[in-house]
Amino acid sequence: MAQAMHRDLLDHRLVIVTGKGGTGKTSVAAAIGLAAASAGKRVLVAEMASDEAVMPLLEPDGAPAGYPGREVLPGLSVMRVDPFAALSEYLALQLGGRLIVDRVVANRGFRQLMNGAPGWRELITLGKVWHIEQMKKADGSPRYDLIVVDAPATGHGVAFLNVPRVVVSAVRTGPLRRHSLAVEDLIEDPDRTLLLPVTLAEELPTRETVELVARVREEAGVRVDRVVVNGVAPPPFPSGLEDLDVALRALPADARFGALPPAGVLADCASFLRARHALNRGYVEQVSELTGLPVLCLPLLVDGVERREDLVRLADPLLAAPELPA
Amino acid sequence: MKRAVPQNLLGPGLTVCVGCGGVGKTTVAAALALEAARTGRRALVLTIDPARRLADALGVEALDNEPRALPRARLDALGVPPEGCLHAVMLDMKRTFDDLVERFAESSDARERILGNPIYQHISETLAGSVEYSAMEKVYDLWQNDDYDVVIVDTPPAQHALDFLEAPQRLIELLESRVVQMLIHPAFAAGRFGFRLFQQGTRRVLQALERVSGLSFLEDVSEFLLAFEGMSPEFRARANEVRGVLLGPQASYVLVTGPARASVRQALDFRGRLSDYGVTLAGVIANRVHSWPGTDELHEPPPNLDASAADLSALAEALASTGAPQRAAEATLAVASDYAAVVRRDGRALRELRKAATGAGGFWAVIPELPEDVHDLDGLARMAAAVFGNATT
Repeated sequence: MAQAMHRDLLDHRLVIVTGKGGTGKTSVAAAIGLAAASAGKRVLVAEMASDEAVMPLLEPDGAPAGYPGREVLPGLSVMRVDPFAALSEYLALQLGGRLIVDRVVANRGFRQLMNGAPGWRELITLGKVWHIEQMKKADGSPRYDLIVVDAPATGHGVAFLNVPRVVVSAVRTGPLRRHSLAVEDLIEDPDRTLLLPVTLAEELPTRETVELVARVREEAGVRVDRVVVNGVAPPPFPSGLEDLDVALRALPADARFGALPPAGVLADCASFLRARHALNRGYVEQVSELTGLPVLCLPLLVDGVERREDLVRLADPLLAAPELPA
Repeated sequence: MKRAVPQNLLGPGLTVCVGCGGVGKTTVAAALALEAARTGRRALVLTIDPARRLADALGVEALDNEPRALPRARLDALGVPPEGCLHAVMLDMKRTFDDLVERFAESSDARERILGNPIYQHISETLAGSVEYSAMEKVYDLWQNDDYDVVIVDTPPAQHALDFLEAPQRLIELLESRVVQMLIHPAFAAGRFGFRLFQQGTRRVLQALERVSGLSFLEDVSEFLLAFEGMSPEFRARANEVRGVLLGPQASYVLVTGPARASVRQALDFRGRLSDYGVTLAGVIANRVHSWPGTDELHEPPPNLDASAADLSALAEALASTGAPQRAAEATLAVASDYAAVVRRDGRALRELRKAATGAGGFWAVIPELPEDVHDLDGLARMAAAVFGNATT
């Protein structure tokens, strides 16, 4: 399949990062934010999970960003899109009165009721993102050049992106239809919005990602043109020494070389790294083949992604030109 | 000092595997169930993970909402005695909910109204917490019918993986909350000033929601709740029973984790939250742990890899066949260091977890990283052997 031109990741208005829990989706969202700010862009990373995970990566002891959000570094802001806060804001705009709306939305019973009500969270959250995308500075330029959304790790994949369309089809008139149309328009605009799936080079995440991409193509109108595979082990041996493990295995297992561990142990280490790399590559190829999409491989960081420096290490491979399927 | 994994994990009772996603919880649950069968129990494993892999590993056609028995021949081959057996079941959320409604609906009319209501359909399929709720309902259902000595449960990988303990209560709270009651019976609250003020506000907001949405949300909710109301007492009693079993003495909780730092942190967090519920952790199983080759004990630190130039030259000489002996020797040192870093990371994680588990009097077990994904019963048996052979206090 011929690939369309791949726009630079930072050249979008909205990048929606999605993936199962444990794939490192949040690290990817934070790393994109950091890279964008380093490139001189004004960027917002919007989290949708109930616990803030982006902020601790950028500022280990910092205060939570919360709903209003906070500029963590020059050009890089973080916020958590709390659905109830966004609902208050929206209703206050619609009804013209903040006080009673705040009181009602803070009420436990109302929250319980709304917790059981379908669809509105997705709609209000996406609506808030749209609202931010529309914000302008005094000189008329956009408030943010790029908005990175750390989408919720739900079992429902990207079903949340379909909510505006469902509303549009169900509602004939009124402000909600207008607003949903605007949100849908943003999500389905391939020049502005990109969905970025993040996965691991392992069996289950691979399968889920392939299903996700198929579903996006089938039902959601959002553009998806590359997949991020996180935690990919590097080639174990330098070039020209591709069979180093075999050479080590050929030595007597108990041969010693000074303070080094015996040859058998060295061979085990080498076999392990080779096998892990081969397994990873196998899944990377599967992702690429079965989705027909180019893949961005992020390096395995043995000690996990904990600090800003770790995010910096993810930035270059994220911004690289996507690796085309063989 | 060694101590065996407590046998009550294998029954009689309920064993709940908790932990974050991606650590192999499903496979560990299946391995525990296999071990229970091998010790002569009638074991059932309930999985929430729709992965084809577990069905393949267990050697059954497919997994669904009804327990499937593993073929006897396969069990025999693994040394399962005649009195032992192993069943597996996969949660079907919608079916479980529908079964509940069928059971408790007052009349066939009420049943049809509930099953056909759009709010119900949404709640039963997508409401946050409904996976957890139906999982626990299913556990209770299976637990009650006495066909098994032990039910081993793989819990859903929710963001807050203990949501399932709260799910029944939360649903009841929603159904019985004042605001919901007032929506159903506006007259009931009309006389009370505080309620009235609140109710006016709520109604105003909800009506505004309807106005902007053009949806009949209020109407659907009211209808659903009215239909559900008749079921409420049974439903509440049921939820309390489910909770009673889950928090009672027959339930053992096992924390499954991987060695990655993020998994360890979440595991420690779970431990804290379990004790908030008054639940004591039976122990911790660390899955997919790397050990240094040739060491008997897992989590033994790797040796120091300071090699002198002379050591490297000696190694290079032995690697002459590679054509680039000096580079090969250096690469070998790098390979050993890379692997040692993984072993060291796992060791750090394990020390922390071990302290947490044994400090609370729990057991502690390690499953080594296996060279391949676990694809079959033999793989599960190897995992079980690691748990029941390597447990220490």
